[in-house]
Amino acid sequence: MLSREEVLKIAKLARLTLTEEEIGFYQRQLTRVLDHIQDLNQVPTSKEGFVQHVPSDAQCFREDRVEPFLNHDGLINNAPVVENNCFLLPTLVEHS
Amino acid sequence: MSLEKYEAVIGLEVHAQLMTASKMFCCCPNRYGSLPNTNICPVCTGQPGSLPVINKKAMELGVRAAIALSCEVHPESIFARKNYFYPDLPKGYQISQYERPYSTHGHIVVQLKTGEEKRIGITRIHFEEDAGKSNHESYGTLVNLNRAGVPLIEIVSEPDMRNAHEAGQYLRALHSILRYADICDGNMEEGNFRCDANISVRLRGADKFGTRVELKNINSFKFVEKAIEYEIQRQVFAVESGEKIIQQTRSWNSAKNITEVMREKEEAHDYRYFPEPDLPKLVFSLAWLDQIKKEMPELPQETSIRFKKSFELSDYDASVLTGSKELANYFESVVSHSKNGKASANWVMNELLGRLNAANKEVESSPVTAIQLADLICKIDSGEISGKIAKTVFEEMFATSKDASSIIKEKGFIQISDPIALESAICKVIENNPSQFAEYKAGKVKLLGFFVGQAMKETQGQANPALLNELVKKILDR
Ligand SMILES: [Zn+2]
Repeated sequence: MLSREEVLKIAKLARLTLTEEEIGFYQRQLTRVLDHIQDLNQVPTSKEGFVQHVPSDAQCFREDRVEPFLNHDGLINNAPVVENNCFLLPTLVEHS
Repeated sequence: MSLEKYEAVIGLEVHAQLMTASKMFCCCPNRYGSLPNTNICPVCTGQPGSLPVINKKAMELGVRAAIALSCEVHPESIFARKNYFYPDLPKGYQISQYERPYSTHGHIVVQLKTGEEKRIGITRIHFEEDAGKSNHESYGTLVNLNRAGVPLIEIVSEPDMRNAHEAGQYLRALHSILRYADICDGNMEEGNFRCDANISVRLRGADKFGTRVELKNINSFKFVEKAIEYEIQRQVFAVESGEKIIQQTRSWNSAKNITEVMREKEEAHDYRYFPEPDLPKLVFSLAWLDQIKKEMPELPQETSIRFKKSFELSDYDASVLTGSKELANYFESVVSHSKNGKASANWVMNELLGRLNAANKEVESSPVTAIQLADLICKIDSGEISGKIAKTVFEEMFATSKDASSIIKEKGFIQISDPIALESAICKVIENNPSQFAEYKAGKVKLLGFFVGQAMKETQGQANPALLNELVKKILDR
Protein backbone atom coordinates (compact mmCIF):
# COMPACT_ATOMS: atom_id res chain seq x y z
CA MET A 1 0.00 0.00 0.00
CA LEU A 2 1.24 3.43 -0.96
CA SER A 3 2.09 5.53 2.09
CA ARG A 4 0.34 8.74 3.02
CA GLU A 5 3.63 10.63 2.40
CA GLU A 6 3.98 9.16 -1.09
CA VAL A 7 0.47 10.24 -2.01
CA LEU A 8 1.14 13.74 -0.67
CA LYS A 9 4.34 14.00 -2.72
CA ILE A 10 2.56 12.96 -5.90
CA ALA A 11 -0.20 15.46 -5.13
CA LYS A 12 2.39 18.17 -4.69
CA LEU A 13 3.98 17.39 -8.07
CA ALA A 14 0.54 17.58 -9.63
CA ARG A 15 -0.14 20.77 -7.68
CA LEU A 16 -3.19 19.28 -6.04
CA THR A 17 -4.45 19.87 -2.53
CA LEU A 18 -6.12 16.76 -1.13
CA THR A 19 -8.60 16.39 1.70
CA GLU A 20 -8.03 13.70 4.38
CA GLU A 21 -10.68 11.58 2.70
CA GLU A 22 -9.02 11.94 -0.73
CA ILE A 23 -5.62 10.96 0.67
CA GLY A 24 -7.05 7.64 1.78
CA PHE A 25 -8.91 7.22 -1.49
CA TYR A 26 -5.80 7.80 -3.61
CA GLN A 27 -3.68 5.56 -1.37
CA ARG A 28 -5.96 2.70 -2.32
CA GLN A 29 -6.60 3.70 -5.95
CA LEU A 30 -2.95 4.43 -6.86
CA THR A 31 -1.88 1.20 -5.17
CA ARG A 32 -4.24 -0.69 -7.47
CA VAL A 33 -2.74 1.10 -10.49
CA LEU A 34 0.79 0.20 -9.36
CA ASP A 35 -0.25 -3.41 -8.78
CA HIS A 36 -1.49 -3.52 -12.34
CA ILE A 37 1.84 -2.17 -13.57
CA GLN A 38 3.52 -4.93 -11.53
CA ASP A 39 1.44 -7.44 -13.48
CA LEU A 40 2.59 -5.86 -16.74
CA ASN A 41 6.18 -6.23 -15.58
CA GLN A 42 5.73 -10.00 -15.89
CA VAL A 43 5.70 -9.56 -19.67
CA PRO A 44 9.26 -10.12 -20.95
CA THR A 45 10.52 -6.89 -22.58
CA SER A 46 13.93 -5.36 -23.12
CA LYS A 47 14.59 -1.81 -22.00
CA GLU A 48 13.93 -0.55 -25.48
CA GLY A 49 10.97 -2.81 -25.93
CA PHE A 50 8.77 -0.04 -24.70
CA VAL A 51 9.08 2.04 -27.84
CA GLN A 52 9.30 -0.93 -30.15
CA HIS A 53 5.54 -0.96 -30.61
CA VAL A 54 6.19 1.89 -33.02
CA PRO A 55 8.14 0.13 -35.78
CA SER A 56 11.18 2.25 -36.60
CA ASP A 57 10.57 1.94 -40.33
CA ALA A 58 7.37 3.80 -39.59
CA GLN A 59 9.56 6.80 -38.93
CA CYS A 60 8.11 9.62 -40.90
CA PHE A 61 9.17 13.22 -40.87
CA ARG A 62 7.40 16.37 -41.81
CA GLU A 63 8.86 18.86 -44.27
CA ASP A 64 9.47 22.24 -42.62
CA ARG A 65 6.40 23.99 -44.02
CA VAL A 66 4.02 26.33 -42.22
CA GLU A 67 0.33 25.56 -42.37
CA PRO A 68 -1.37 27.96 -40.03
CA PHE A 69 -4.19 26.54 -37.93
CA LEU A 70 -7.05 28.94 -38.47
CA ASN A 71 -9.24 28.29 -35.47
CA HIS A 72 -6.90 29.55 -32.76
CA ASP A 73 -9.78 31.55 -31.32
CA GLY A 74 -11.53 28.24 -30.78
CA LEU A 75 -8.55 27.02 -28.77
CA ILE A 76 -8.36 30.18 -26.71
CA ASN A 77 -12.06 30.20 -26.01
CA ASN A 78 -11.71 26.80 -24.35
CA ALA A 79 -10.08 28.67 -21.49
CA PRO A 80 -12.21 29.71 -18.52
CA VAL A 81 -10.72 33.22 -18.58
CA VAL A 82 -9.01 35.07 -21.44
CA GLU A 83 -7.23 38.40 -21.13
CA ASN A 84 -5.41 40.20 -24.00
CA ASN A 85 -5.74 37.06 -26.08
CA CYS A 86 -3.80 35.17 -23.39
CA PHE A 87 -4.90 32.35 -21.13
CA LEU A 88 -5.38 33.89 -17.69
CA LEU A 89 -4.46 31.60 -14.82
CA PRO A 90 -4.05 32.01 -11.10
CA THR A 91 -0.41 32.79 -10.37
CA LEU A 92 1.53 29.74 -9.21
CA VAL A 93 4.32 30.01 -6.75
CA GLU A 94 6.79 27.42 -7.86
CA HIS A 95 7.25 24.53 -5.43
CA SER A 96 5.50 26.24 -2.57
CA MET B 1 38.76 37.97 1.11
CA SER B 2 41.33 35.84 -0.60
CA LEU B 3 39.83 34.91 -3.96
CA GLU B 4 43.13 33.45 -5.16
CA LYS B 5 42.83 30.54 -2.75
CA TYR B 6 39.69 29.40 -4.55
CA GLU B 7 38.73 28.28 -7.98
CA ALA B 8 35.29 28.06 -9.51
CA VAL B 9 33.86 25.09 -11.34
CA ILE B 10 31.44 26.19 -14.02
CA GLY B 11 29.30 24.24 -16.45
CA LEU B 12 26.90 25.88 -18.87
CA GLU B 13 23.58 24.74 -20.28
CA VAL B 14 22.53 26.57 -23.41
CA HIS B 15 19.10 26.39 -25.00
CA ALA B 16 19.24 27.37 -28.66
CA GLN B 17 16.09 27.73 -30.75
CA LEU B 18 16.50 26.22 -34.20
CA MET B 19 15.98 28.39 -37.29
CA THR B 20 13.09 26.49 -38.80
CA ALA B 21 10.01 27.97 -40.45
CA SER B 22 7.62 25.76 -38.44
CA LYS B 23 7.56 24.30 -34.94
CA MET B 24 9.13 20.99 -33.85
CA PHE B 25 6.04 18.75 -33.94
CA CYS B 26 3.35 20.79 -35.72
CA CYS B 27 2.95 23.16 -38.70
CA CYS B 28 2.55 26.38 -36.69
CA PRO B 29 4.98 29.17 -37.57
CA ASN B 30 8.16 29.37 -35.49
CA ARG B 31 8.04 33.14 -35.20
CA TYR B 32 8.85 35.65 -32.49
CA GLY B 33 6.74 38.74 -31.89
CA SER B 34 3.36 37.64 -33.33
CA LEU B 35 0.14 38.56 -31.53
CA PRO B 36 -0.29 36.30 -28.48
CA ASN B 37 -1.73 32.86 -29.22
CA THR B 38 -1.98 33.24 -32.98
CA ASN B 39 0.71 30.63 -33.78
CA ILE B 40 -1.01 27.77 -32.03
CA CYS B 41 -2.84 24.58 -33.00
CA PRO B 42 -4.27 21.45 -31.35
CA VAL B 43 -0.79 19.80 -31.21
CA CYS B 44 1.16 22.56 -29.47
CA THR B 45 -1.69 23.36 -27.10
CA GLY B 46 -1.94 19.71 -26.06
CA GLN B 47 -5.49 18.98 -27.23
CA PRO B 48 -6.59 15.39 -26.63
CA GLY B 49 -6.04 13.11 -29.60
CA SER B 50 -3.45 15.30 -31.33
CA LEU B 51 -0.14 13.68 -32.26
CA PRO B 52 3.36 15.06 -32.84
CA VAL B 53 5.11 14.70 -36.23
CA ILE B 54 8.84 15.46 -36.30
CA ASN B 55 10.09 18.43 -38.35
CA LYS B 56 12.86 17.08 -40.62
CA LYS B 57 14.66 20.43 -40.85
CA ALA B 58 14.89 20.67 -37.05
CA MET B 59 16.64 17.29 -36.98
CA GLU B 60 19.05 18.43 -39.69
CA LEU B 61 19.93 21.64 -37.88
CA GLY B 62 20.51 19.63 -34.70
CA VAL B 63 22.90 17.29 -36.50
CA ARG B 64 24.60 20.29 -38.07
CA ALA B 65 25.19 21.69 -34.56
CA ALA B 66 26.60 18.35 -33.42
CA ILE B 67 29.04 18.27 -36.33
CA ALA B 68 30.06 21.89 -35.78
CA LEU B 69 30.74 21.13 -32.10
CA SER B 70 32.79 18.00 -32.89
CA CYS B 71 30.19 15.76 -31.26
CA GLU B 72 29.33 12.15 -31.93
CA VAL B 73 25.94 11.75 -33.59
CA HIS B 74 24.08 8.61 -32.54
CA PRO B 75 22.26 6.78 -35.33
CA GLU B 76 19.47 5.97 -32.86
CA SER B 77 18.10 8.09 -30.06
CA ILE B 78 14.88 8.32 -28.10
CA PHE B 79 12.45 11.12 -27.32
CA ALA B 80 11.28 11.20 -23.72
CA ARG B 81 8.55 12.92 -21.78
CA LYS B 82 9.67 15.24 -19.02
CA ASN B 83 6.68 15.59 -16.75
CA TYR B 84 5.93 18.70 -14.74
CA PHE B 85 3.00 20.98 -14.17
CA TYR B 86 3.31 24.59 -15.12
CA PRO B 87 0.82 26.91 -16.86
CA ASP B 88 2.99 27.43 -19.94
CA LEU B 89 3.30 23.67 -20.54
CA PRO B 90 -0.12 22.69 -21.88
CA LYS B 91 0.47 18.93 -22.24
CA GLY B 92 1.77 18.56 -18.68
CA TYR B 93 5.01 17.24 -20.16
CA GLN B 94 7.74 18.50 -22.43
CA ILE B 95 8.97 16.28 -25.25
CA SER B 96 12.72 16.09 -24.71
CA GLN B 97 15.49 13.52 -24.76
CA TYR B 98 16.88 11.98 -21.61
CA GLU B 99 18.74 8.69 -21.37
CA ARG B 100 19.59 8.51 -25.05
CA PRO B 101 20.25 11.94 -26.54
CA TYR B 102 21.07 12.17 -30.24
CA SER B 103 24.56 13.53 -29.64
CA THR B 104 27.36 13.36 -27.04
CA HIS B 105 31.10 13.87 -26.49
CA GLY B 106 31.99 17.08 -28.26
CA HIS B 107 34.17 20.08 -27.53
CA ILE B 108 34.94 23.68 -28.42
CA VAL B 109 38.40 25.25 -28.37
CA VAL B 110 38.22 28.79 -27.01
CA GLN B 111 40.77 31.62 -27.08
CA LEU B 112 41.63 33.11 -23.70
CA LYS B 113 42.84 36.63 -23.08
CA THR B 114 46.15 35.20 -21.91
CA GLY B 115 46.70 34.09 -25.50
CA GLU B 116 46.23 30.45 -24.54
CA GLU B 117 43.65 28.11 -25.99
CA LYS B 118 41.41 25.94 -23.85
CA ARG B 119 39.35 22.96 -24.82
CA ILE B 120 35.90 22.87 -23.21
CA GLY B 121 34.07 19.56 -23.33
CA ILE B 122 30.48 19.20 -24.42
CA THR B 123 28.70 16.42 -22.57
CA ARG B 124 25.61 16.15 -24.70
CA ILE B 125 23.20 17.84 -27.06
CA HIS B 126 19.57 16.85 -27.07
CA PHE B 127 16.39 17.91 -28.82
CA GLU B 128 13.45 19.35 -26.98
CA GLU B 129 10.45 21.57 -27.52
CA ASP B 130 10.20 25.02 -25.99
CA ALA B 131 7.50 25.87 -23.46
CA GLY B 132 5.10 28.79 -23.81
CA LYS B 133 5.65 32.09 -22.12
CA SER B 134 4.11 33.22 -18.81
CA ASN B 135 3.78 36.84 -17.83
CA HIS B 136 3.02 37.36 -14.19
CA GLU B 137 0.63 40.20 -13.46
CA SER B 138 -0.88 41.29 -10.16
CA TYR B 139 -4.21 39.71 -11.13
CA GLY B 140 -2.79 36.41 -12.41
CA THR B 141 -0.54 34.77 -14.97
CA LEU B 142 -1.01 35.46 -18.69
CA VAL B 143 0.02 32.54 -20.86
CA ASN B 144 1.01 32.90 -24.53
CA LEU B 145 1.60 29.59 -26.30
CA ASN B 146 3.18 30.97 -29.50
CA ARG B 147 6.55 29.68 -28.27
CA ALA B 148 5.21 26.28 -27.15
CA GLY B 149 6.66 23.62 -29.43
CA VAL B 150 9.41 25.75 -30.96
CA PRO B 151 12.36 23.43 -31.70
CA LEU B 152 15.33 23.67 -29.35
CA ILE B 153 18.63 22.00 -28.79
CA GLU B 154 20.06 21.98 -25.29
CA ILE B 155 23.85 21.99 -25.26
CA VAL B 156 25.33 20.85 -21.96
CA SER B 157 29.00 21.54 -21.30
CA GLU B 158 31.37 19.64 -19.05
CA PRO B 159 32.17 21.50 -15.81
CA ASP B 160 35.44 22.55 -17.46
CA MET B 161 35.43 26.29 -16.93
CA ARG B 162 37.30 27.80 -13.98
CA ASN B 163 36.39 31.48 -14.13
CA ALA B 164 33.92 33.93 -15.61
CA HIS B 165 36.19 34.83 -18.54
CA GLU B 166 36.41 31.21 -19.69
CA ALA B 167 32.64 30.86 -19.43
CA GLY B 168 32.16 34.07 -21.43
CA GLN B 169 34.55 32.90 -24.14
CA TYR B 170 32.88 29.50 -24.35
CA LEU B 171 29.50 31.14 -24.74
CA ARG B 172 30.77 33.56 -27.38
CA ALA B 173 32.41 30.78 -29.36
CA LEU B 174 29.27 28.63 -29.17
CA HIS B 175 27.10 31.57 -30.20
CA SER B 176 29.33 32.36 -33.14
CA ILE B 177 29.37 28.73 -34.37
CA LEU B 178 25.58 28.38 -34.16
CA ARG B 179 25.09 31.64 -36.04
CA TYR B 180 27.71 30.84 -38.68
CA ALA B 181 26.13 27.51 -39.48
CA ASP B 182 22.62 29.04 -39.68
CA ILE B 183 21.46 26.85 -36.81
CA CYS B 184 20.23 29.52 -34.41
CA ASP B 185 19.52 33.25 -34.71
CA GLY B 186 21.39 33.82 -31.47
CA ASN B 187 19.27 36.74 -30.36
CA MET B 188 19.60 36.68 -26.58
CA GLU B 189 17.13 39.52 -26.02
CA GLU B 190 14.44 37.63 -27.92
CA GLY B 191 15.35 34.52 -25.93
CA ASN B 192 16.39 32.30 -28.80
CA PHE B 193 19.80 31.68 -27.22
CA ARG B 194 19.50 31.23 -23.45
CA CYS B 195 22.09 30.29 -20.89
CA ASP B 196 21.98 28.75 -17.42
CA ALA B 197 25.17 28.27 -15.42
CA ASN B 198 26.03 25.74 -12.73
CA ILE B 199 28.58 27.26 -10.40
CA SER B 200 30.45 25.99 -7.37
CA VAL B 201 33.69 26.98 -5.67
CA ARG B 202 36.41 24.92 -4.04
CA LEU B 203 39.88 25.42 -2.68
CA ARG B 204 42.31 25.53 -5.58
CA GLY B 205 43.63 22.05 -6.27
CA ALA B 206 40.85 20.23 -4.41
CA ASP B 207 39.26 17.48 -6.43
CA LYS B 208 35.85 17.38 -4.80
CA PHE B 209 33.23 19.77 -6.20
CA GLY B 210 31.54 22.24 -3.87
CA THR B 211 27.76 22.52 -3.57
CA ARG B 212 26.54 23.96 -6.82
CA VAL B 213 24.19 26.81 -7.45
CA GLU B 214 22.22 27.10 -10.66
CA LEU B 215 22.18 30.56 -12.18
CA LYS B 216 19.18 30.98 -14.49
CA ASN B 217 18.23 33.23 -17.37
CA ILE B 218 21.38 35.15 -18.07
CA ASN B 219 19.82 36.88 -21.05
CA SER B 220 22.59 39.13 -22.33
CA PHE B 221 26.26 38.72 -23.17
CA LYS B 222 26.96 41.81 -21.14
CA PHE B 223 25.72 40.07 -17.99
CA VAL B 224 27.20 36.62 -18.39
CA GLU B 225 30.63 37.37 -17.00
CA LYS B 226 29.35 39.89 -14.48
CA ALA B 227 26.73 37.49 -13.14
CA ILE B 228 29.15 34.58 -12.87
CA GLU B 229 31.83 36.79 -11.33
CA TYR B 230 29.38 38.02 -8.73
CA GLU B 231 28.18 34.51 -7.90
CA ILE B 232 31.74 33.21 -7.48
CA GLN B 233 32.59 36.02 -5.09
CA ARG B 234 29.37 35.52 -3.17
CA GLN B 235 30.15 31.83 -2.70
CA VAL B 236 33.79 32.40 -1.74
CA PHE B 237 32.70 35.00 0.78
CA ALA B 238 30.12 32.60 2.22
CA VAL B 239 32.65 29.76 2.51
CA GLU B 240 35.26 32.07 4.06
CA SER B 241 32.82 33.22 6.71
CA GLY B 242 31.96 29.64 7.57
CA GLU B 243 28.55 29.52 5.89
CA LYS B 244 27.24 26.48 4.13
CA ILE B 245 26.44 26.92 0.43
CA ILE B 246 22.86 25.89 -0.13
CA GLN B 247 21.94 24.11 -3.34
CA GLN B 248 19.53 26.53 -4.93
CA THR B 249 18.50 28.31 -8.10
CA ARG B 250 19.37 31.98 -8.39
CA SER B 251 18.77 34.60 -11.04
CA TRP B 252 20.72 37.66 -12.10
CA ASN B 253 19.16 41.01 -11.26
CA SER B 254 20.71 43.37 -13.79
CA ALA B 255 19.29 46.46 -12.10
CA LYS B 256 20.92 45.68 -8.74
CA ASN B 257 23.94 43.79 -10.16
CA ILE B 258 23.42 40.87 -7.81
CA THR B 259 22.16 37.30 -7.97
CA GLU B 260 18.96 36.53 -6.07
CA VAL B 261 17.38 33.31 -4.83
CA MET B 262 14.64 32.00 -7.11
CA ARG B 263 14.03 28.78 -5.24
CA GLU B 264 15.66 26.52 -2.73
CA LYS B 265 16.28 23.09 -4.13
CA GLU B 266 16.36 20.46 -1.43
CA GLU B 267 15.39 17.61 -3.72
CA ALA B 268 16.03 17.03 -7.37
CA HIS B 269 13.11 17.78 -9.64
CA ASP B 270 10.96 14.75 -9.98
CA TYR B 271 10.38 14.79 -13.72
CA ARG B 272 9.47 11.10 -14.06
CA TYR B 273 11.00 10.82 -17.52
CA PHE B 274 9.81 8.00 -19.71
CA PRO B 275 10.12 7.24 -23.45
CA GLU B 276 7.64 9.25 -25.55
CA PRO B 277 5.09 6.66 -26.72
CA ASP B 278 3.79 8.93 -29.50
CA LEU B 279 7.11 8.97 -31.37
CA PRO B 280 9.25 6.18 -32.81
CA LYS B 281 12.97 5.95 -32.17
CA LEU B 282 14.80 8.76 -33.93
CA VAL B 283 16.93 7.10 -36.60
CA PHE B 284 19.59 8.87 -38.66
CA SER B 285 20.62 6.82 -41.67
CA LEU B 286 24.21 7.07 -42.90
CA ALA B 287 22.98 8.52 -46.19
CA TRP B 288 21.08 11.23 -44.39
CA LEU B 289 24.06 12.10 -42.16
CA ASP B 290 26.29 12.29 -45.26
CA GLN B 291 23.82 14.62 -46.92
CA ILE B 292 23.80 16.90 -43.85
CA LYS B 293 27.61 16.92 -43.78
CA LYS B 294 27.73 17.92 -47.44
CA GLU B 295 25.39 20.83 -46.80
CA MET B 296 27.40 22.17 -43.84
CA PRO B 297 28.01 25.92 -44.18
CA GLU B 298 31.50 27.26 -43.50
CA LEU B 299 32.37 27.50 -39.79
CA PRO B 300 34.24 30.43 -38.19
CA GLN B 301 37.51 28.52 -37.93
CA GLU B 302 37.33 27.52 -41.58
CA THR B 303 36.54 31.09 -42.61
CA SER B 304 39.50 32.26 -40.55
CA ILE B 305 41.87 29.82 -42.27
CA ARG B 306 40.55 30.86 -45.70
CA PHE B 307 40.98 34.56 -44.88
CA LYS B 308 44.57 33.97 -43.75
CA LYS B 309 45.39 32.17 -46.96
CA SER B 310 43.54 34.32 -49.47
CA PHE B 311 44.32 37.73 -48.05
CA GLU B 312 47.60 37.11 -46.22
CA LEU B 313 46.18 38.12 -42.86
CA SER B 314 47.71 37.43 -39.46
CA ASP B 315 46.08 35.01 -36.98
CA TYR B 316 44.91 37.95 -34.97
CA ASP B 317 43.39 39.85 -37.93
CA ALA B 318 41.63 36.73 -39.15
CA SER B 319 40.21 36.01 -35.69
CA VAL B 320 38.88 39.57 -35.32
CA LEU B 321 37.32 39.55 -38.79
CA THR B 322 35.56 36.24 -38.16
CA GLY B 323 34.26 37.35 -34.76
CA SER B 324 30.74 37.35 -36.17
CA LYS B 325 29.24 36.13 -39.38
CA GLU B 326 28.02 39.64 -40.22
CA LEU B 327 31.51 41.10 -39.82
CA ALA B 328 33.07 38.34 -41.92
CA ASN B 329 30.46 38.92 -44.64
CA TYR B 330 31.05 42.67 -44.51
CA PHE B 331 34.81 42.23 -44.83
CA GLU B 332 34.40 39.78 -47.66
CA SER B 333 32.17 42.17 -49.53
CA VAL B 334 34.72 44.99 -49.06
CA VAL B 335 37.56 42.82 -50.40
CA SER B 336 35.61 41.56 -53.37
CA HIS B 337 35.09 45.15 -54.52
CA SER B 338 38.38 46.72 -53.43
CA LYS B 339 40.59 43.78 -54.49
CA ASN B 340 42.96 44.76 -51.68
CA GLY B 341 42.88 42.32 -48.77
CA LYS B 342 45.39 43.92 -46.45
CA ALA B 343 43.98 47.45 -46.84
CA SER B 344 40.42 46.17 -46.49
CA ALA B 345 41.36 44.34 -43.28
CA ASN B 346 43.03 47.45 -41.86
CA TRP B 347 40.15 49.74 -42.72
CA VAL B 348 37.51 47.38 -41.34
CA MET B 349 39.44 46.62 -38.14
CA ASN B 350 40.85 50.02 -37.30
CA GLU B 351 38.58 52.69 -38.73
CA LEU B 352 35.23 50.92 -39.03
CA LEU B 353 35.26 48.77 -35.87
CA GLY B 354 36.75 51.60 -33.84
CA ARG B 355 33.94 53.94 -34.82
CA LEU B 356 31.24 51.29 -34.51
CA ASN B 357 32.40 50.49 -30.98
CA ALA B 358 32.49 54.15 -30.02
CA ALA B 359 28.97 54.58 -31.41
CA ASN B 360 27.85 51.31 -29.74
CA LYS B 361 26.69 49.94 -33.08
CA GLU B 362 26.87 46.52 -34.68
CA VAL B 363 28.28 46.05 -38.17
CA GLU B 364 24.76 45.27 -39.44
CA SER B 365 23.78 48.87 -38.79
CA SER B 366 27.00 50.45 -40.05
CA PRO B 367 26.34 53.86 -41.63
CA VAL B 368 29.04 53.05 -44.20
CA THR B 369 28.21 50.10 -46.44
CA ALA B 370 30.83 47.58 -47.54
CA ILE B 371 30.62 48.86 -51.12
CA GLN B 372 31.12 52.46 -49.96
CA LEU B 373 34.19 51.48 -47.95
CA ALA B 374 35.59 49.46 -50.87
CA ASP B 375 35.08 52.47 -53.12
CA LEU B 376 37.07 54.63 -50.70
CA ILE B 377 39.92 52.09 -50.65
CA CYS B 378 39.95 52.06 -54.47
CA LYS B 379 40.30 55.85 -54.48
CA ILE B 380 43.41 55.57 -52.30
CA ASP B 381 44.86 52.79 -54.44
CA SER B 382 44.27 54.76 -57.65
CA GLY B 383 45.94 57.84 -56.16
CA GLU B 384 42.81 59.98 -56.27
CA ILE B 385 43.14 60.77 -52.56
CA SER B 386 45.86 60.16 -49.99
CA GLY B 387 45.44 57.73 -47.12
CA LYS B 388 45.46 60.63 -44.72
CA ILE B 389 42.67 62.48 -46.50
CA ALA B 390 40.79 59.20 -46.78
CA LYS B 391 40.55 59.08 -42.98
CA THR B 392 38.88 62.49 -42.95
CA VAL B 393 36.58 61.41 -45.77
CA PHE B 394 35.72 58.23 -43.87
CA GLU B 395 34.85 60.21 -40.77
CA GLU B 396 32.41 62.22 -42.86
CA MET B 397 31.03 59.06 -44.51
CA PHE B 398 30.43 57.53 -41.09
CA ALA B 399 28.62 60.65 -39.89
CA THR B 400 26.48 61.18 -43.00
CA SER B 401 26.33 57.81 -44.86
CA LYS B 402 27.29 59.72 -48.02
CA ASP B 403 29.52 58.23 -50.74
CA ALA B 404 33.22 59.05 -50.76
CA SER B 405 32.93 60.73 -54.20
CA SER B 406 30.34 63.26 -53.12
CA ILE B 407 32.29 64.14 -49.95
CA ILE B 408 35.52 64.51 -51.93
CA LYS B 409 33.72 66.78 -54.41
CA GLU B 410 31.96 68.85 -51.72
CA LYS B 411 35.07 69.42 -49.67
CA GLY B 412 37.51 69.69 -52.54
CA PHE B 413 39.57 66.78 -51.24
CA ILE B 414 40.96 65.68 -54.59
CA GLN B 415 44.61 64.73 -54.32
CA ILE B 416 46.96 67.16 -55.99
CA SER B 417 49.08 65.29 -58.51
CA ASP B 418 49.83 68.33 -60.66
CA PRO B 419 53.65 68.93 -60.52
CA ILE B 420 53.31 72.66 -61.22
CA ALA B 421 50.87 73.21 -58.36
CA LEU B 422 53.08 71.17 -56.04
CA GLU B 423 56.24 73.00 -57.13
CA SER B 424 54.77 76.37 -56.26
CA ALA B 425 53.81 75.07 -52.81
CA ILE B 426 57.32 73.70 -52.27
CA CYS B 427 58.96 76.96 -53.36
CA LYS B 428 56.77 78.88 -50.94
CA VAL B 429 57.91 76.61 -48.09
CA ILE B 430 61.56 77.15 -49.01
CA GLU B 431 61.06 80.93 -49.10
CA ASN B 432 59.44 80.86 -45.65
CA ASN B 433 62.24 78.76 -44.13
CA PRO B 434 65.54 80.23 -45.39
CA SER B 435 67.65 79.09 -42.44
CA GLN B 436 66.54 75.43 -42.71
CA PHE B 437 67.19 75.66 -46.44
CA ALA B 438 70.72 76.89 -45.78
CA GLU B 439 71.35 74.07 -43.29
CA TYR B 440 70.08 71.54 -45.82
CA LYS B 441 72.38 72.91 -48.44
CA ALA B 442 75.24 72.73 -45.92
CA GLY B 443 74.70 68.99 -45.71
CA LYS B 444 71.93 68.41 -43.11
CA VAL B 445 70.01 66.14 -45.50
CA LYS B 446 67.63 64.79 -42.89
CA LEU B 447 65.82 68.13 -43.12
CA LEU B 448 64.23 66.68 -46.27
CA GLY B 449 61.44 65.29 -44.10
CA PHE B 450 60.82 68.71 -42.61
CA PHE B 451 60.30 70.25 -46.06
CA VAL B 452 58.03 67.41 -47.20
CA GLY B 453 55.93 67.85 -44.06
CA GLN B 454 55.66 71.61 -44.48
CA ALA B 455 54.76 71.26 -48.16
CA MET B 456 52.06 68.71 -47.30
CA LYS B 457 50.67 71.17 -44.78
CA GLU B 458 50.77 73.93 -47.41
CA THR B 459 48.54 71.78 -49.66
CA GLN B 460 46.19 70.99 -46.72
CA GLY B 461 47.31 67.39 -46.90
CA GLN B 462 46.05 66.97 -50.46
CA ALA B 463 49.38 66.46 -52.18
CA ASN B 464 50.09 63.08 -53.72
CA PRO B 465 52.67 61.92 -51.13
CA ALA B 466 54.96 59.97 -53.45
CA LEU B 467 55.08 62.73 -56.03
CA LEU B 468 55.56 65.41 -53.38
CA ASN B 469 58.50 63.52 -51.89
CA GLU B 470 60.15 63.22 -55.26
CA LEU B 471 59.62 66.88 -56.14
CA VAL B 472 60.84 68.24 -52.78
CA LYS B 473 64.09 66.36 -53.18
CA LYS B 474 64.49 67.46 -56.76
CA ILE B 475 63.87 71.14 -55.99
CA LEU B 476 66.07 71.20 -52.86
CA ASP B 477 68.93 69.58 -54.74
CA ARG B 478 68.88 71.72 -57.86
ZN1 LIG C 1 1.04 24.07 -33.34
